[in-house]
Amino acid sequence: MTRVLPWLYLCLAFGFIYLPVGALVLFSFQDGSLPVPPFNGPSLKWYGAVLADRGLMAAMLNSLVVAVGSSAVACALGFLAAYGLARHALPASGLLRAALIAPMTVSYLIVGLGLLIVFGRLGIGLSLWSAGIGHVVINLPLCFALIYAAMGGQQVNAERAARDLGAGEWRVLALVTVPMLAPAILAAFFLAMTFSWDEFIIAFLLTRFDVTLPVEIWSLLRSGLSPKTNAVGSLVFVISVILVLGLEVFVFRRRRQ
Amino acid sequence: MSNRRLALLGTTLLATALPGLAAAEGTLNALVWCDHTDPALIEPFEAAHGVKVNLREYEGTGAALAILEQSRPGDWDVLVIDGIDVFRAVEAGLLAPLPADQLALGDQFPEVVMAANNQQGGVTYAVTEKFGYNTISFNAAKVDPADMQDLNTVWSEKYKGRIAIYDYYLPVMGLAAIASGIRTETLGEADLAAIAPTLALMRANAATVGEVVSSQTALATGEVDIVVGGGEWLTAVLAGEQPELTWTIPDQGAVRWAQSIGVLEASENKDLAVEFVKYITGPEGQARLATSSCFWGMPANARAGDHLSAEQKTILRWDEQAGYLARTELYPAPDADLDARMQDLWLETLQQ
Amino acid sequence: MSGRAPRRTGRGFVAPALIWTLAFFMVPFAVMAAMSLATLDGRSLVWGLSADNYARILTTPYLRRAIAVSLEITAIVTVISVVLAYPLAWIIAFRVPERWQRLALVLAVLPFWTSYVVRSYSWLLVLAREGVVNQALIASGLIAEPLTLANTRTATVTGFVHFFVMLLTLTIYANLVQLSPNYRRAATDLGASAFQTFRHVILPLTLPGVVTGAFLTFVLCIGDYVTPQILGGNNELTVPQVIMVQLGRRADFPLASALSVVLMGIVTLAYLGSARWLRLDRL
Repeated sequence: MTRVLPWLYLCLAFGFIYLPVGALVLFSFQDGSLPVPPFNGPSLKWYGAVLADRGLMAAMLNSLVVAVGSSAVACALGFLAAYGLARHALPASGLLRAALIAPMTVSYLIVGLGLLIVFGRLGIGLSLWSAGIGHVVINLPLCFALIYAAMGGQQVNAERAARDLGAGEWRVLALVTVPMLAPAILAAFFLAMTFSWDEFIIAFLLTRFDVTLPVEIWSLLRSGLSPKTNAVGSLVFVISVILVLGLEVFVFRRRRQ
Repeated sequence: MSNRRLALLGTTLLATALPGLAAAEGTLNALVWCDHTDPALIEPFEAAHGVKVNLREYEGTGAALAILEQSRPGDWDVLVIDGIDVFRAVEAGLLAPLPADQLALGDQFPEVVMAANNQQGGVTYAVTEKFGYNTISFNAAKVDPADMQDLNTVWSEKYKGRIAIYDYYLPVMGLAAIASGIRTETLGEADLAAIAPTLALMRANAATVGEVVSSQTALATGEVDIVVGGGEWLTAVLAGEQPELTWTIPDQGAVRWAQSIGVLEASENKDLAVEFVKYITGPEGQARLATSSCFWGMPANARAGDHLSAEQKTILRWDEQAGYLARTELYPAPDADLDARMQDLWLETLQQ
Repeated sequence: MSGRAPRRTGRGFVAPALIWTLAFFMVPFAVMAAMSLATLDGRSLVWGLSADNYARILTTPYLRRAIAVSLEITAIVTVISVVLAYPLAWIIAFRVPERWQRLALVLAVLPFWTSYVVRSYSWLLVLAREGVVNQALIASGLIAEPLTLANTRTATVTGFVHFFVMLLTLTIYANLVQLSPNYRRAATDLGASAFQTFRHVILPLTLPGVVTGAFLTFVLCIGDYVTPQILGGNNELTVPQVIMVQLGRRADFPLASALSVVLMGIVTLAYLGSARWLRLDRL
């Protein structure tokens, strides 16, 4: 009995975890206009509808641009800060670290609302730029923490050696530190990317005409019940899974070898 | 890095964050309801004029007015607004006069021209584009259609747990008022106390309170059998597959909604904006708007009928409109203060 | 320490991130806090130092209820998620053969990458009156009439728990595999039962990880708008939902700001309450 119990629990847990995904994907193939039982047989028409939807395709591209851009900025800033704090004795470094981590403990809604008020007061129009700024705010702590945690002692010697050989601060950084920390930086980048790609409330509050995918899906959801929502959800899932598995196989597996 | 260089970096980042928002030639920025975002409606206009129409949806009039008041000249060109709220936008000086002679107001159903709302001091500020009813949608296979003719039976104990309420305070409060014999037109602060018990009862017997899609989902999936505040706009999209989902106007009457479209005073592209209004209120645009993928509704322009199929007209109940118009009242049009009171009462009802 | 470059450069490296956080996080937060002390006269904003909005939150029943609802839901979700995720992480860490662990873990968190908005919507379809769950229960003869699951607090909690079980499984697993097997062995050698080993050795050692995960769950859950909005059927409103109503329908920025400050205050209290176990920089 006690031998079976863990496996039973594992199966139940996986059942729970995959239940909504299964229903989502199954009814994306619904032949009919309602994504609820009974299932009327497989059809690909909703995928056709998604691919033909200009708004959705544009939103997908916008999301990708914002995700890549904001993650790159967050990683760059996070890396520099981590380097500064790990390699230099700074006054009040504990306070600095806390300040950089702070946005992590605040709801996205509050980050979005604060920026909305400030942009509104300053007369700065809302756009993908403003959403991107918000995404950097929420991803910067994450990138900083991940990269800072990876800054161990093993790079210090290599950096010192490079410095002794006459390399300037920036060359040490670019030629020694960054390559040695590449796995952590990449992991931070991809994680930040998935967060930005899927972030809704900040993008919802801070965009105007050009919106990101979650915002477009939200209005799709609000404006009608349709297996099209299932289809776009399934597509996003498949794309993300391919990305994650690719990352797993090419980045992490290689690192462990 | 010196502090000065840092400051420079900061300002550069800020500057690049400022998008070039100067109204580019050939774009039109419209603040709209979701039915205007249907490409089938917008693309013909874009093609005909070689322009790009940017659309942004909004939820409540209060929020739309705040967005417009905070915006800079040229940010917005066209506004779609609740017919009853046009006066608020006009009072705030947000709407520009329209060339009434170029708009075929004579083709509109007379009941929905709504001159009292859309015009002020003889000047036309907005045009009605679409209308319909907030009434009772139901599943004819699950409830007794005769019961649906009496509002007080609809939300009685008999259907406890089988009701969804449309999450928009104005029409639902309008229905509650009508059920209590209060005219929506005269609904005042004193009447709120009178309709509060009705709302509380409705809420107590309801399974859910939801916006368009969740009420639709609830009805289509059998979660509920009745949607208070529903109407053709809720069930028309489902008509093909689930003909048992229908709607009626109860004996006491129901609430009528109407949406208007206007050009903004701060627009720097008024000619194009007027063209857009003419397109939306013209027969073809009207037919497309009436059958928009987000929600259906009667076109204000009677000549749109030439562009609608017989089947579409049946779903819209084209031929029964005269009777419906006579038996419905526009939904309440509160001023800012009363509006705040009504929203508080609504949230109080939801949280009871 | 030797080999460290001078302070000046160090500051230069930290400055961009710090300036960004200052300009786009702390300043907006300060402005929002100031906004919470302003009032709305009709539609025009009156800046000042008024406590009106906070008084309104304290005295208006639906606002007080929103805070209670948010706290209740978040507490329930956090507890259930931890209770469900701990065994799962445990099984993956100690029962699944090592070569399959990575796969099991990836599989356990894969649905994490469905679109957040869509995931809540999927639960709506699953929990509907004619959805998969009800149909399965009816087919198995457990119930005769479909249960009302969608548009309830149960639905909101289910949607949240689904998300956070994945998140917590990941953080707790990371904690468990870091434990040296020697601890368990030593406990067993000293005659501890499996439960005693867990209670007195494993649990205390993994507590920081669990608390960190639970705190993250708390923060993300109490601030979320999407899940209760899609799954709760507006049968009760959480603080984020009330904030969004203030913004979307009335543009009442002062009240929305005050509610946000309150939300922030609750999170801070939760932080202080769990601070001694938190390892935020070690996520």
